Amino acid sequence: MKNRVATSETSHHDNHAWVHDVLEPDQLAAAKPQFGRRKLGAGTLLLLWVLRIYVLLMILLISYQVWKAFHAKP
Amino acid sequence: MKERYHLRLPAPESLKDLPISKEDLKRAEDRRDVKRHREERRPIKLFWLLLGPGILVMLGENDGPSMISYATTGATYGVGFFLPFILLTFAMAYVVQEMTVRLGAVTKKGHAELINERFGKFWGWFAMGDLAFGNLLTLVTEFIAIRAGLGFFHVPSALSVFGAFLIIVGAVATQRYWTWERIVLSFAVFNLIFIPVAVLAHPVPTQIVKAFFSWGPIPGGVNASFILLVMSNIGATVTPWMLFFQQSAVVDKGLTPTDISHGRIDTALGALLAAIAAIATVLACVPLFTSHVDASNFQGADFAQALVPHIGSIGASLFALGLFEAGIVAALTISLSSAYAFGEVTGRSASINSPIKENLPFYAFLLAAAGIAALLVLIPHAPLVFITLIVNVIAVLAMPPAIVFLLLLVNDKEIMGEHANRPLGNVFGIGVTIFLILAGLTYGILTIFPHLFPTS
Repeated sequence: MKNRVATSETSHHDNHAWVHDVLEPDQLAAAKPQFGRRKLGAGTLLLLWVLRIYVLLMILLISYQVWKAFHAKP
Repeated sequence: MKERYHLRLPAPESLKDLPISKEDLKRAEDRRDVKRHREERRPIKLFWLLLGPGILVMLGENDGPSMISYATTGATYGVGFFLPFILLTFAMAYVVQEMTVRLGAVTKKGHAELINERFGKFWGWFAMGDLAFGNLLTLVTEFIAIRAGLGFFHVPSALSVFGAFLIIVGAVATQRYWTWERIVLSFAVFNLIFIPVAVLAHPVPTQIVKAFFSWGPIPGGVNASFILLVMSNIGATVTPWMLFFQQSAVVDKGLTPTDISHGRIDTALGALLAAIAAIATVLACVPLFTSHVDASNFQGADFAQALVPHIGSIGASLFALGLFEAGIVAALTISLSSAYAFGEVTGRSASINSPIKENLPFYAFLLAAAGIAALLVLIPHAPLVFITLIVNVIAVLAMPPAIVFLLLLVNDKEIMGEHANRPLGNVFGIGVTIFLILAGLTYGILTIFPHLFPTS
């Protein structure tokens, strides 16, 4: 997994000890943990694909409505 | 219990050696204030510091097409079923958005970033693609609302659209989440401008109370137009961009698990204010219903013009200003939600606390999304009316997969630990998902078998 591209570093940590006091460790751009990939069960994958197909079918239906709207007799 | 992610963080002593970015520094300044006021036990000041994402997401969703949808509802159905129904849709929105507060505060990651990491890039890019497409269409409708609102005051189209784009540029040019948030909040307050408009329409209090208790009447009964308006009202309240925006805004603001209760109050307050503004918009247009004005093909400024004989020119002007506000707040928040998702799936910093010169693609994506939408609005003969009508329906149809990802993430004990959904949360979450899928399927059936329901 690609690491997050951190923005510029400021002068040095010695001046910013207070930052560590107010931010939680995983709020620092340079310390964000990578959660890693979750193993998806067959049921979850099926659900995701069914919903993906559902969205595609609905987009087709919307396209049909668009076509109908543009070809409707006044 | 499975291993919590924070156990895999570097050791505390090595954390002290980590570099501090400018983004970290700005967030730390905000968090220092929060820490101080929490220690000094100043609850009002603390709430003032922590509110934002919830109110913004809810008032941001009271956007151009939503306000047109509520206006059409009032003009077509008067005081009746839709008043309690709107309240129900905002209750559903709260159930969904509360989960994003927890996800953001616990994981410190945006919605797209989590989908990308936990489910892989394939699903991450799909989610991002759905969002970017839906957001672009929605942004077009926001600029239409801005143009319509200011058009009432004879402001030329190009000037109103360009001016709105400049406001978006100015807000992100602050390069500071806190400042951006306060600028947008100061615009969002004007969503409540629809309340005095409703008062000028002289609604009958007993009718309103009766509607809330009886969920009626439904003039004309349940027919195709009614179902489409139901869909449109759901789409005006529960949409995918809201998930992405609020979770990322919670992260950008720097909220932590300690702030979850404040995040919930912020979201609930936002839902309540947005519901009041939405219901006020319905009530403001009831005079058109009682006067039998056909508002089925009305666009933004048409409502304001048609309302002049009923609520006077001041009321109509307020309505037009409300449309402008709805458009600009949504344009500010939706363009940022697109940029957040882009930053998150491409592994960049997804924060407006990051400096422009070091995170140029993030800012470029944000301004490109807003700029393309602004240009589309100015193209002569572009099918803008159709886009406005269809955008809420698309939101309803795209929502089920988005909520399923949300439910999977918020039930993921490995990343959420003790903040994972409890059984009651899942009952509500799954209930909302099933409701939205059924609404979408009804739309599909209605499209294929248009004569299944009476047409008038």
